Amino acid sequence: MINTTVLSWVTFIYFAAFVFYLFRMVLGREFWGTVATWVARAGLAAHTAGLIIRWKASYDMGMGHAPMSNFYESLIFFAWTIALLYLLIEWRLKNRSIGVFVMPIAFLIMAYASIAPGINQRIEPLIPALQSNWLTSHVLTCFMGYAAFTVAFALGIMYLIKSAFSVRGFTPGMFIRLLPSEYQMDDLMYSSAVLGFIFLTLGIVTGSVWAHYAWGSYWSWDPKETWSLITWIVYAVMLHARLVRGWRGKRMAWMSIIGFACVLFTYLGVNLLPSLHSYMT
Amino acid sequence: MSRKKSGIWSFFSSVQLAIVLLSLIAFFALVGTLVPQREAAVEMAARVSPGLFSFLQKIQIFDLYHSVWFFLLMGLLAVNLAVCSLDRFPMAWRRFRMRPSAASQEIWKDISPADRFQAKAGLQEAAAAAERLLKKKYRTSMREDGTESVFLCARKGRFSLFGVYIVHLSILILIAGALIGSIFGVEAFVNITEGETADAVFIRGGERMILPFSVRCDKFTLELYDNGAPKTFQSDLTFLKDGKELHTEKLLVNHPVEFEGFRFYQSSYGAAPGGKATLELSRPGGKSDVVNVAAGYTFDLPGKEGTFEILKVEQNLMNMGPAVKVLVRSRGREETIFVFHHIDQIRQMNPGIIDQVPMFNPGLVRPYTFVLMGLEEKNYTGLQVSKDPGTPVVAFAAVLLVGGLMLILLSYARFVWVRVQLKGEGVDVSVAGRSYKNKAGLEKELQYLLAELKDNLERPA
Ligand code: HEM
Repeated sequence: MINTTVLSWVTFIYFAAFVFYLFRMVLGREFWGTVATWVARAGLAAHTAGLIIRWKASYDMGMGHAPMSNFYESLIFFAWTIALLYLLIEWRLKNRSIGVFVMPIAFLIMAYASIAPGINQRIEPLIPALQSNWLTSHVLTCFMGYAAFTVAFALGIMYLIKSAFSVRGFTPGMFIRLLPSEYQMDDLMYSSAVLGFIFLTLGIVTGSVWAHYAWGSYWSWDPKETWSLITWIVYAVMLHARLVRGWRGKRMAWMSIIGFACVLFTYLGVNLLPSLHSYMT
Repeated sequence: MSRKKSGIWSFFSSVQLAIVLLSLIAFFALVGTLVPQREAAVEMAARVSPGLFSFLQKIQIFDLYHSVWFFLLMGLLAVNLAVCSLDRFPMAWRRFRMRPSAASQEIWKDISPADRFQAKAGLQEAAAAAERLLKKKYRTSMREDGTESVFLCARKGRFSLFGVYIVHLSILILIAGALIGSIFGVEAFVNITEGETADAVFIRGGERMILPFSVRCDKFTLELYDNGAPKTFQSDLTFLKDGKELHTEKLLVNHPVEFEGFRFYQSSYGAAPGGKATLELSRPGGKSDVVNVAAGYTFDLPGKEGTFEILKVEQNLMNMGPAVKVLVRSRGREETIFVFHHIDQIRQMNPGIIDQVPMFNPGLVRPYTFVLMGLEEKNYTGLQVSKDPGTPVVAFAAVLLVGGLMLILLSYARFVWVRVQLKGEGVDVSVAGRSYKNKAGLEKELQYLLAELKDNLERPA
């Protein structure tokens, strides 16, 4: 299928973008950064085209649904939201140093979707419970939230790396110097987490509305629901710890890492537990 | 703060407590996804000792989300939220009502050079330009004229001060709604065979609950994809009360039907036992008749020589496939006979069975011969029935929650000031601002104001 071919090319484009971002960080020449940005944008454009082709293909096959209905499609969509959000942030902040941490995540997700065994890439009809407009809004908001949390996670890692080097009194290398200032990273980490929190809230609300229609109750403590609640609480705690307890820097970085671990478990780990949401079955 | 705070009050208004409670709730929720809950707990019973199992059951670990512990944590969180919000609301209210004076002096104490510029313009001209700009951006502005200076002040976004309280209130309402649901709500299911009527549903654990009305499934329709997966299934339902048909509606997956506060959801389907069968009846030399039969029906035999009655229709009798039990009354004789669909296979598999069980012998009611042509496939529709009076409360809370979050994200409360002072030939224009959060955003806004003003004043008239 043409869409999976396009999407597997996107995987390589994202990898190239990552390599150029890395060149920029190691060689310290902004030229590589410009190249990286344009490669990443080209990747996002191809990615978008791939999603649209896949969407159209599902209509041509007579089942007509947004490409967000099985595990493969959700991975592809997740990577798309990450690339989109990252490029928006880069454009707004005029700062490219997050790219070297975020693009590899988008690349790894795409690669996993393309090569991991047991992932069904075919377009499949929707079972009745999934035939709802709430599916689209639910998946869209959840993944926008996940993408924002991914950015917060990348910043958390960057923060820890930078602070580890600055504490020991090394003369930091180019790579470390090109990272944004600790203050800036802390600020951005918090903003990303807030953005993610709002989208996750919307995701949980739309999911509840959908569950209300499809399964008869807005909340049934299904493992995926429960884990999304746990994730939501972790970020609520992070928010309060900062606003009221004044947590900053390293503690925030650790919170964004813990939060991201919960996101990953909500998304992937829960499939090990029996669930209504299981993409794997 | 004038109110003396008791120890309990300050305990419950602390955010540390909130962080501890939220973490505990997250931890409990996590345990609940690892330990099998409710019906699934049965498998645990087989794996641990009975003593341990009954202990675990007593501490409600198998129904964690409905346990005393969970209610307790939720209750504490609610008290924490309420007390904390009450504690802080007066401050937010004061901030909301605060009217700064335009000529407030301390604001200008440590103003950075980046926040001011000089221009060749008259005092009144510059002040008018500044006032126009503030009016455009903030709708209103306050002005105070001095002899050598003019002070202007505007504010924006003060309603966002309430965002946090709206969010917190929404959590309180959410908890209340969930509580209403768990006390007054009903979760049940019922299977109704096509054409039949149900007047009761089954609650968890198999307990029967009589409905204040009855439901009939008029028709069940199933559509499949080419690969055999279900595409849609739907039930045509009629709601009755005292035998009167009150309401008819189609029920589809994702499109529940509501009647008198009970919501019906299409959740499953299956093949129903019983139903109708097609029998062929013949006698030597005569023509054969095909009749549709169901349990309880009585028919005349050909030539009015007697009657036959259908006693039972079985989908699968003793693993020998579909069968119908028929009572034949003729010439003062009564015989009961089982008519099988697969009689030839049964004979082959169990030679001699007809001698052992005369009721299985098709020749028993000679001269008549019955043949079971087939059973009519009949489905039942599986309905989930629920009643949750807390749902509208929770929905309202969700709207508040999202609205409050938007208010916090999209706006923030700030004051901005502009001072225009005579200086030599021209004027000195400075800007300043105050906000509780988003200092970076405020600084950007001030720079924007400064650039606009500069632009206005330097542009030749
Ligand atoms: C799940 C429950 C909760 C949610 C979703 C929640 C949500 C929020 C949000 C979004 C903010 C950020 C406001 C802003 O950025 O201005 C906030 C701030 C705050 N929350 Fe909560 N909260 C919860 C529970 C609590 C509890 C139990 C307390 C009790 C002490 C509390 C106390 C506070 C305080 C003191 C602030 C800071 C307000 C300020 O900046 O003036 N929260 N909360």
